[in-house]
Amino acid sequence: MKKHFLLLGFLIASFTAGFTTSLSAQTPSKEAVLKVEGEVLKTLSISISDFAKMPHVEANMKDRDGKIQQYSGVPVIEILKQAGVTLGKDLKGENLTKYMLVRASDGYEVLFSLAELDPVFTNRVIILADKKDGKPLENGIGPFRLVVPDENRPARSVHEVSHFIIRFAKE
Amino acid sequence: MQIESHYKKLTLLLVLVAAGIFTAATDISPLYVDPYKLEYPDYFGNRISIPEDNPTTKQGVYLGRMLFYETKLSSSQTISCASCHQQKFAFTDGKAFSSGIDNMRTKRNSMSLANLLWVRNFFWDGRAKGLEDQAKFPLNDPHEMGGYLEKAVKILQQTKEYPPLFREAFGTAEITSDKITKAIAQFERTLISANSNYDKYLRGEYNPTEQELNGMELFMNSPRPEKNIRGANCAQCHGTPKMYMELFHNNGLDTEPKDIGREEFTGMENDRGRFRVATLRNIALTAPYMHDGRFKNLDEVLDHYNEHIKPSKSLSISLKNVSNNLDGEKLGLTANEKSDIISFLKMLTDSTFITDPKFSDPHLKKVTTN
Ligand code: HEC
Ligand code: HEC
Repeated sequence: MKKHFLLLGFLIASFTAGFTTSLSAQTPSKEAVLKVEGEVLKTLSISISDFAKMPHVEANMKDRDGKIQQYSGVPVIEILKQAGVTLGKDLKGENLTKYMLVRASDGYEVLFSLAELDPVFTNRVIILADKKDGKPLENGIGPFRLVVPDENRPARSVHEVSHFIIRFAKE
Repeated sequence: MQIESHYKKLTLLLVLVAAGIFTAATDISPLYVDPYKLEYPDYFGNRISIPEDNPTTKQGVYLGRMLFYETKLSSSQTISCASCHQQKFAFTDGKAFSSGIDNMRTKRNSMSLANLLWVRNFFWDGRAKGLEDQAKFPLNDPHEMGGYLEKAVKILQQTKEYPPLFREAFGTAEITSDKITKAIAQFERTLISANSNYDKYLRGEYNPTEQELNGMELFMNSPRPEKNIRGANCAQCHGTPKMYMELFHNNGLDTEPKDIGREEFTGMENDRGRFRVATLRNIALTAPYMHDGRFKNLDEVLDHYNEHIKPSKSLSISLKNVSNNLDGEKLGLTANEKSDIISFLKMLTDSTFITDPKFSDPHLKKVTTN
């Protein structure tokens, strides 16, 4: 008797388990967002549509085969300004030991010092791109990718960017 | 002068009395824990995770090892962590799916527990942050250990052996579920595997065979047919001496995966069929392979990467159109090249790790209930 109840319970459990998985596969999945957090005045969570409304610029980079590719997107510095990161005249003293960790949705991570991003220090404009040749980026690369011009290896031009995390370097 | 020193004595006396009352009242014995020195090669790097509130100590590690092998933590009193994580299989169990209490099958393949000190997101889908948090999952899972943690706390409290071990590790004999997971996590941090032939090679103490060397080259290289460089591109994901990078990828097992992997946890479509890149250390000991144990041996794994990558929207771009042939779609390794890669993978077996008495079952004498 007890065995039967167990079996029944198990069947119900596996049925509902199967049911919830198929449900979750049907419900529209979450939309990708860019999160900006850490040492910021305001954490941001920017959706694809909000991102599209921000002022865009163009940037070029070489792909792995050395061909020049043109992207359109928002300068990283503008996104960080919106979050209230210490930039421009505030980027001095201990703030010069701050960095931005870029994280992709597959877990890939790379790092930039804030001074590498700020026009007070450099003329190179790094953008977070959402379009290439006027079209959204392809699966596995978009919706957001970093475009870092003038680098010999594209390893920091991260695909599928999901987070900008600002932190102090702790020795 | 005289008076001052009298005052000093008096204060000292008061402090001692107060401390005495305090210890008696709260059962806190002064902690004399010895730090456990975690030893590992420099090439593993120091990006390790140890929470501030759970430093690794000799006493904590020993208690954790006792608990790791403790069947009293399961509702049936038959299953311990070690049932599904056996030292001789590099802490896996040789099955496609493990069985927990009442032979219920787990949803996924058991994972090897080696070099967890460097992992930050645990499980095939990365859903647990930190080892302390991870340990709660099997303990509370109805299929694995029967959701018995709160009762196990009471049962262990009744034993002769455990309360003193908790006192030595954490200062009080009171057992809590929090302390159980902390101690287990401490033990797991000591499971470091760094003495394989590959490690000996990195230290300059081992001369690889021709096959092993060729397999290593292929494993590390990306194929560049236009430059006559042959490669298997494995290091793109399983690179660095730790033999994994903490990344989540869809490695082309299915076009429509039955187990959606990380998507279930993040709700993001681009995570469909993505799983954590598994470590390849001791890989020859941990068959069957992949999150569902679908491949019986390493030959089948190599055939998969070489010939059977299934396309899908979330397939990793490191596995799309990567080929040793100009304009090829498949990897295009020869049979000899595949077997050379397997020779290299066998170099990752660490026989000291699977025989180290520090990691073995410490329950030499049976624990008795009062
Ligand atoms: C019934 C079999 C079973 C038992 C018992 C069990 N595990 Fe596991 N373990 C698994 C399976 C299966 C996975 C992979 C599950 C997943 O990814 O969903 C796993 C994964 C893990 C991982 C993740 C490793 C990584 O690299 O992410 C750790 C750590 C772990 N187990 C530790 C433990 C501890 C500690 C215990 C005892 C408290 C325990 N396990 C009990 C089967 C078991
Ligand atoms: C795009 C990243 C990627 C590349 C490239 C890659 N792997 Fe993997 N590998 C993974 C992932 C992710 C898993 C876990 C997949 C799963 O279980 O669903 C895995 C699992 C494995 C496993 C099984 C591990 C276990 O514990 O079950 C083996 C063996 C393996 N890979 C070997 C290789 C070899 C050999 C190569 C080169 C021919 C290679 N991999 C290339 C991502 C990759």
